[in-house]
Formats: sequence, C-alpha cells, structure tokens
Amino acid sequence: MHSFKDTAAIVGIGSSRFGRKMPESQLALGAMAMRAALEDAGLERRDVDGLSIHMGFPLGPDYDRVAEAFGLDIRYVNQSWLHGRFVTHCLQQAAIAVSAGLADVVACISAVSFTRERQILGGDHDAEGTREEGGTHGESPHYGLTAPVGGAAMGMQRYMHLYGATSAELAAVPISIRAHACRNPGAVMQTPLTLEDHQASRMVVDPLHLFDCCLMTDGAVVALVTSAERARDLKQKPVYISGMQGIRAGREEFIFAPRGLGINQQSGMQIAPDAKDLAIYRDIDRTAVQGFYTYDAFSPLVLFALERFGFCGPGEAKDFVQGGRIGPGGALPVNTSGGLLSEAHVGGWNSIAEITRQLRGTAGPTQIPGASVLQWGTCWGDSILMRN
Amino acid sequence: MSLAKPLPRLSPDNEPFWEACRAGELRLPTCEECDKPHLPPGPVCPFCFGAKLAWRKASGRGRISSFTVVHKAWFPSFRDEIPYNVIQVELEEGPRLTANLVQATPEELRIGQAVEILFDKINDSITLPRFRPMAG
Repeated sequence: MHSFKDTAAIVGIGSSRFGRKMPESQLALGAMAMRAALEDAGLERRDVDGLSIHMGFPLGPDYDRVAEAFGLDIRYVNQSWLHGRFVTHCLQQAAIAVSAGLADVVACISAVSFTRERQILGGDHDAEGTREEGGTHGESPHYGLTAPVGGAAMGMQRYMHLYGATSAELAAVPISIRAHACRNPGAVMQTPLTLEDHQASRMVVDPLHLFDCCLMTDGAVVALVTSAERARDLKQKPVYISGMQGIRAGREEFIFAPRGLGINQQSGMQIAPDAKDLAIYRDIDRTAVQGFYTYDAFSPLVLFALERFGFCGPGEAKDFVQGGRIGPGGALPVNTSGGLLSEAHVGGWNSIAEITRQLRGTAGPTQIPGASVLQWGTCWGDSILMRN
Repeated sequence: MSLAKPLPRLSPDNEPFWEACRAGELRLPTCEECDKPHLPPGPVCPFCFGAKLAWRKASGRGRISSFTVVHKAWFPSFRDEIPYNVIQVELEEGPRLTANLVQATPEELRIGQAVEILFDKINDSITLPRFRPMAG
C-alpha cells in the first residue's frame, strides 16, 4: 500500500476579509485569497498548475471559470461541491496529486457569497431538497422540512432522547467556540456568548437555537499544497499532511447523526467507532493531538465528531465539552479561530488556515503553546492529521 | 415567491409508492429474494442487491423515532403554519418514513409515540401520508 505520510505539505495560505454582505463577487474574494496565498508562500502565479476547488454549482463558478478569471495554466483539476462533506476530500486530492506528480503546486480554493446566495439553502429555491432523490440532509419540502439545519435538528433530537442530553449542555459548544473567536480579531463574532444568551436566542428548528447555527458569511480561503520535497525549499515552515482517511457512507450513515443513531434508515442505536473510523491514528496516536478542528455548521456536529474519533464514548460528548475543555486553554481546544459558528462560514477552510498558522507558531492570540500535531476531522469520519 | 406548497418529486423508482398513496394504501418495496422491505424506494434491494421487488401493503402503524418543530418560515406557503412539526416514523415493518403528525396534542409529539397513517389528498396526482396518534 502506498503511504502518503508526509509526502505533501501546505506551504501557503491566504484569506480575503470575512463578513456579511460584502460587495465583492465570489471570484473577487477568491482572487484576494489567491494573491495573499502566493505572497505567503513566496510562489508565483505561474507555479500553480493544479486546482482543487471546493465551490461550484449551485454555489458559484466552476474550476474552468476560476482558471480563466485568474489567468492560470492548469494541468490537474479536482472539483467537489460546496458541502462540508468535501473539505477533506479537496485537500486530500491536492495532497495525492502533488505526491503522484500530477501537479507541482495545487491551489485549494473555497470562495463563498452566502449572504447573496442564501436562498439556495432552504425554502422555495431549495435546489438540494427538490432534486431527484431529494437532498442529503433529510429534506422533505412537501412536509415543510428544508435546509441543512432540519437534518441536524432531527439528529440532535434523537441523541437527546437516547442520552438525556439537554440544550443547555449543547450550549457549551457554541460558547467555547465563541470564546476562541473573541481572541481572533478577524472573527465576525467578537462578544462572549453566555448560556443565558444561548437559551434566550430564538428557536430555529427545535431543539436548535439560533446560536447552534453557523454564520452565513462571505469570504474566501486559498491553501497552496506542494510536495514535501519542494516545501522544504520554500519560504514558510511546511505543514505536513501526516495522515488521511476518507469519508464514510452507507445505510448506517446520516449526514447529521452519529453512525447508526436511527435517523432515516440507520439501524437505530449509535455504533461505537470501528477500525475504519480510527485508521487515521495508524502512525500518530490520538493522544498526540493537541487541537481538534471540525466542520461546525451546527453545534451538534462537534459532539458527533468527537465521538466519531473516540475522544469520548457514544453519548459522552455532551459531558466531555463541559468545563472549558474545548475552549481556550482547554485540554482539547476545538476550532481555535472560531469555526463556522463564530469566525466565518468559508466552507471550513478558515479552520484549515488556522491549523496552518498554529503549526507555524504564528496564530498569535489563539496560539496553542507548542502546537505540533493537530487534527481536522468531521462527523462523517473523514480526517487529516497535520504536523510541523 | 410561490404560495403553492412544494410537492414530492416522482421518479421511476418511487412512482408506485405515490400511486399506492393515491389509493389510500401504504406499500413498501419488498425484496422477493430476502423478503426485506426498504425505504426510500430504490431500484434494487439494498440488503441483498436483489433486483425483484414487490410492492407489499404495510400496516401503516409505527412509532415516532425523531421529530422537529420548524419555527422559521423558509417557505412562504408554510408561513401561516409555523411552528409546525415534522416527524420520522419507524414503521412496524422496519423502514422509516418522514411526514407530519396531525390530530395530536403537544404531549403526543414525542419519540416513542405510537402512530397510525392517514392519507391527505393534495391534488389528483399527489396524496401525502401523514400520521396521527394511535387511539388508546
């Protein structure tokens, strides 16, 4: 079996500003991030010969328009779809491409204008829920269930029933992640969140309150990936991709519930992590992970991801996240720049940029002291371990 | 902005399901080889990959396995109904179906509640199954 351990590295990151109702187009935001990433890496635009795009239909331009607009000359493309499920995939394909010699430098690009395009995510323009076979989040538009958050509510409701978890316990997730955001001057949300604020916020889809839902923002992030060999000669300290595993799928999976929990056609009781979930720790043990980064579109997804990777047992994450454990200075800080819940929704790539800064030791106020191994892992089981 | 509610999207695989609903029956695609019913309707048996499916009549009874209450008016056509519920029902035969709970008290909207099906004619081609609490 070919191993991709430490064969590829992130060598440049760049971001646009993040915010709401930004005047720039998605492509313009992407161009800002691309310019910043090239400068960060000390690379020229002509060095980029691969694209791994985490955008495209129905949320914005495809890879060919990006290459045309940015004046690139590309020989390798991966395009996924702007879903949290494909962040890992996008970065993994970049790592595989540079390791296999399909490209020298791959630009991973995610650029979003959610405030202009928000009608796509639910309601009459629910492009997902109304396609043949329906949406992936359990959308049933004819019964009034639309938008990704509906699926997250179904998953959390059953999780609460099975384990006696409460909304006040769940609140520890957005409260901790907000505390991280308050240390990041670039985060959209800058005021601390209290339990009272969380409980008083309007109910969106029971049991999820407003502050259990991510921000809808505009912004872009670009991450430049090259081979480990080339990375060693570049400007920045390389951030190595040291372990990867793919996403899981099948009848025991539902996008917003732990494996087996009993949503849609899952068998009905949560299934503890198995060898496929834990393969990511083959070379680097979970105990070495100093910070965890995940796709926090809705606060329950953080609980589900922690259980998926065995940081705690099924049903235990509601207790695990209490007492500041995942907040600043905690034993396992989660989403230290504020994630989708409080920094910005840039398709999860704001956290990839943060991991890179952390492993370079340049994260400033959010820096985890001595960070050397960090994990990106989602509630779907896909993951990347990164080290410096 | 449409004021008509969205309708289910018919496909060659699910058309017999909706045809049965029009006739006031719940029918599940059931494998003729391994005998297991499945949802949502697919082209083959997901358990044994058998290709022969029969649309067998189901009891229409089950229990709520999860639910939510929608408080946001995503659809203009549902605006007057918020907050409204959406439930998943684990049918006696095993598969789960998404629908609404009707003719119910707030206390009956709970996981484990026994429910039975009823059919709500929307137009000539679509009749939506919904559920109500089991009597007694």
